[in-house]
Amino acid sequence: METLTQPVQNSMKPGKWLNSSCKMCIHSCTTRIHVTEDGVINKIEGNPTSPSNNGRLCPKGNAAILRHYDPARFRTPLRRTNPEKGPGVDPKWAPIGWDEALDLVGRELRKTLEEDPRKLMPAINDFQKLFLWAWPAALGNANYLSSVGNFCGGGYHPMNGFIHAAFAAANDVNYCNYWINNGGGDGFSSHLHTAAQANHVAKARVERNMRVVVVEPRLSIGAAKANEWVPIRPATDRQFALGLAHVLVAEKLYDAKFLKKDTNAPYLVGPDGYFVRNGEGRIYVWDAVDNCARLWDDPEIKEVALEGTYTVEGKPCRPAFQKFKDILAECSPEQMETLTTVPAATTRRIAREFAKAAQIGSFIEIDGRMLPLRPAAYNYYRGAQGHKYSAMANHAFKLVNFLVGGIDAPGGHVGVTLDDQMQDIRGGCGQIQPGENGMMQTMPHQLHPEVPFSWPPNETHLMGFFPIGVDPGHLTQHTLANAEKFGLDYRPDTLLMCHSNPLWNLPGDREQWYALLRSMRFIVAVDILPNESNEWADVILPSHDLLESWNMTMIEPPHHEGMCLRQPATPPLYDTKSEEEIFYEISERLGLLETWNGILNFVNGFHQKPELLLEPNRKYSDREIAERKGKLWNGQDLDWYVEHGHAVTPRRPDKWYRPWDGMRLHFYLEDIVRARDTLRQKMEAADVPFRHEWEWGDYQPLPTAVPDPVHLEPADFDLYAITFKDIQINFGESIGNPWINDIVFKDPVHTAVLLNPKTARERRLDEGDIVRIESPYGSIVAKIGLSEGVHPDAVCVSNALTRVATQNTGVRHGGGNFNQLLPANLRHTDACSGQPETVAKVRLTKLASVPAEIAAGNSVFSKGRAH
Amino acid sequence: MAKWGMVFDLRRCIGCNACAVACKQENSLPDGVFFTKTLSEEVGEYPDVTRSYVPTICNHCEDAPCERACPTGATYTRPDGIVMVDRNKCIGCGTCIVACPYDQRTRLEPEMLKEGLFGGGRMTPFEEQGIGRFTVGTVVKCTFCHERVDAGQLPACVATCPTEARIFGDLDDPTSRPRQLILERRGRQPLPEKNTNPRVFYID
Repeated sequence: METLTQPVQNSMKPGKWLNSSCKMCIHSCTTRIHVTEDGVINKIEGNPTSPSNNGRLCPKGNAAILRHYDPARFRTPLRRTNPEKGPGVDPKWAPIGWDEALDLVGRELRKTLEEDPRKLMPAINDFQKLFLWAWPAALGNANYLSSVGNFCGGGYHPMNGFIHAAFAAANDVNYCNYWINNGGGDGFSSHLHTAAQANHVAKARVERNMRVVVVEPRLSIGAAKANEWVPIRPATDRQFALGLAHVLVAEKLYDAKFLKKDTNAPYLVGPDGYFVRNGEGRIYVWDAVDNCARLWDDPEIKEVALEGTYTVEGKPCRPAFQKFKDILAECSPEQMETLTTVPAATTRRIAREFAKAAQIGSFIEIDGRMLPLRPAAYNYYRGAQGHKYSAMANHAFKLVNFLVGGIDAPGGHVGVTLDDQMQDIRGGCGQIQPGENGMMQTMPHQLHPEVPFSWPPNETHLMGFFPIGVDPGHLTQHTLANAEKFGLDYRPDTLLMCHSNPLWNLPGDREQWYALLRSMRFIVAVDILPNESNEWADVILPSHDLLESWNMTMIEPPHHEGMCLRQPATPPLYDTKSEEEIFYEISERLGLLETWNGILNFVNGFHQKPELLLEPNRKYSDREIAERKGKLWNGQDLDWYVEHGHAVTPRRPDKWYRPWDGMRLHFYLEDIVRARDTLRQKMEAADVPFRHEWEWGDYQPLPTAVPDPVHLEPADFDLYAITFKDIQINFGESIGNPWINDIVFKDPVHTAVLLNPKTARERRLDEGDIVRIESPYGSIVAKIGLSEGVHPDAVCVSNALTRVATQNTGVRHGGGNFNQLLPANLRHTDACSGQPETVAKVRLTKLASVPAEIAAGNSVFSKGRAH
Repeated sequence: MAKWGMVFDLRRCIGCNACAVACKQENSLPDGVFFTKTLSEEVGEYPDVTRSYVPTICNHCEDAPCERACPTGATYTRPDGIVMVDRNKCIGCGTCIVACPYDQRTRLEPEMLKEGLFGGGRMTPFEEQGIGRFTVGTVVKCTFCHERVDAGQLPACVATCPTEARIFGDLDDPTSRPRQLILERRGRQPLPEKNTNPRVFYID
């Protein structure tokens, strides 16, 4: 028998364990990190004391060590020596010292700010240090270049703010028995705390027989594990939801008590789309018993009407519910089938199953509080909501949950805050506020306060024109290409990126983006690894990675809450700094230290505990900021967090379930009508020349079945291209990590672009054929893989195939970035939410071979090293 | 003494391969080498189609054909049922690779230990601290994380599995979770016709 003197397994070697948190996606599963006696990190596991991820980690979390030790990491500040810039062009970096780099950045930014602050475009995207997103506020600048937030959730986040005053939403796995997933991987492959959610959902599926129905164009992981996969034509998810709503309403499978008592569904809506109010601004409802109009809070009301047509204050009006019912008259499952291809009988059956599972009328006692129990919920995300009429899509999905009374009910569809400490924004605990006429105040702004309207526009992405939306960073391409039309009296020439890769995540023509970057006088990037965007930088400021820095975060945990500690497991491997230090140093050089500390106090919520306030003219370390955030959460100091790793507990039921009890939710979104009209007045008053072509129809108080304009592209673009991620590549850059490459490029789902075999046969295409995928806006090259798990109208492109060749040759590049198939214009942007369309109509053309420029290097078309 | 075994719950497994990556980091596996991996297969025709995810691992067979085939006695079974390879006795003849009906053994070729995970022969500190356990020309495979198990811990793949699809325990203990699951949900061994009596069971 072999005699071992030293352990061979990494976790068993002599060393120490440290508590920390993962950052391989944007979320924060808790971890424990093993460091050898020689100071080498050799194992990362989930922290079993966390009730959220229960000691589990996804493949990305398991691969963090190789991000840490990636030889491609930026090791010192770098200055570009090659004046030529372009995709794949070597910047010929020259190492420089920190003082020189920061002085250079400070000087260049100061020059820009002195000329015109609007010329600086920030793209700051670290989700675990959300306070950095507020740095541009110190400059009075909201000219954001990026597509984070609006690409996946342009309509999603504001709608969660409208309905729950929260940033995200989840199905309540604690009690749910019937789980619909539409275009979102929650519980299986993506979105909120994937490993944690997969853990809890698997238990619900297997131990409680929770039924899962997945509605998607592609057989995703969730669809593969579901009791039922419902294939759907891309970009028709809203119509499917409206078909469900039609059945729920037509067959009276709805929670009338909830709608009457807890929502504005009975409020009377006039012909102008506004509620009918008396002279004092108070809203009317109709008393169905006394057959008369009464104010909504009149104690004499016997029974409010949900249906009917009335005349009040001389105006014809209907309850909001009736307005929705009128819309649903055109949304029968049979009518919707012509768009969705989902058989009407399937939609009807699912609607009935859903309503039955919702147990309308049932209650449950939790912590001494009697709550409605609604164990059926409709979840959705990027794939379902990433369309032109995104606000309407999100509202339609919400309304399915409304109809069964499932909003924020145990087992139902519940709001998820982004970071509870940020009281005033981002879904913090201070967000549940009473609004007018008994309704909860809507909170569509989850990422930053409203950006004021300006003409000429102060923001190239026109954020001031999206009073209830998320930053449509992609529109910068459109406005700069038509600068005169959009009244731009300046041209941005400086770009500051922090953990951001806009060239990867923005839709639109690549050449135009390249031209935009070429036109920049100065680009600085705070980052860890080279990518498509920071390759264009003039200066790189290298930051610590997740194993070298301090942080405290809770970011969108679906069922849990509490701060998670990040602490350094080793000293920095290289000459890097924390983001905190970098932004302090830049702020100081710009004379903004005091302003920045003031902003940090506000966005971190330190103003709630004066002893935590940052002094105006001091610079604080990542450790000091982290300690304050921990103290704010539970009063514990950093030593406590170092010992425990986290303060994660299940969500407190009083905050989690119906925290708005006593207020009414917005079934009908009058605020959208008001936002439209206010914006229109501002555009009229400013004589904005493009106001007549603004997409005013996008602002709807209730969703309709109007098809998204992607369906109206020329007929010869006969297929729909979608892109997808799975758990191995969920959120952010993973390709290039050898362990991720080792599993992803062995998976047939990620090695070729997926096409239904019947569709392929009709086009004389076969497995392995090389094709050009062409949309009206751009094209990419792909290898075809046949899959029965694909809707016949769909072309499915894994996100693993969409990287572009850079100096970081470990990142295998595909046949072009999927996003260049997508338009970056107003027509395909939801004027209400800022969401761009994420589906492209395409046609396929067979090629003789992979074009040489694409096949070169470490391409996904080559065999790849040892893969 | 315990007889260690594993149950794969196919209803739980989501094919994410966190198991495979956890194994790679626990065991410092070279690029392209797996002690465990989860396969996927599409089953059916549109629209009546699904994809099954099937975790695979060394089955630590009670009647291990690899052990019988090994000419040098390098492959042996510990008293607790874990099938091991003694790299000091392994001559890399590959007989065991052919004998294993489950394709779970890998011979370490020189380039595997030379190239490094990032290629080009650059070894990270992580690899440098771990790669010494391997000898070129010998055969490697899953050991059920024997050192962790000896210390009372779960194998790395089991500990990390997000959906708890891997259930590890003593197959000789009628009260153990794997034994109960095998009984309750009619656990099946892989390729029973090979008469290897695997200590790995699948339930669905």
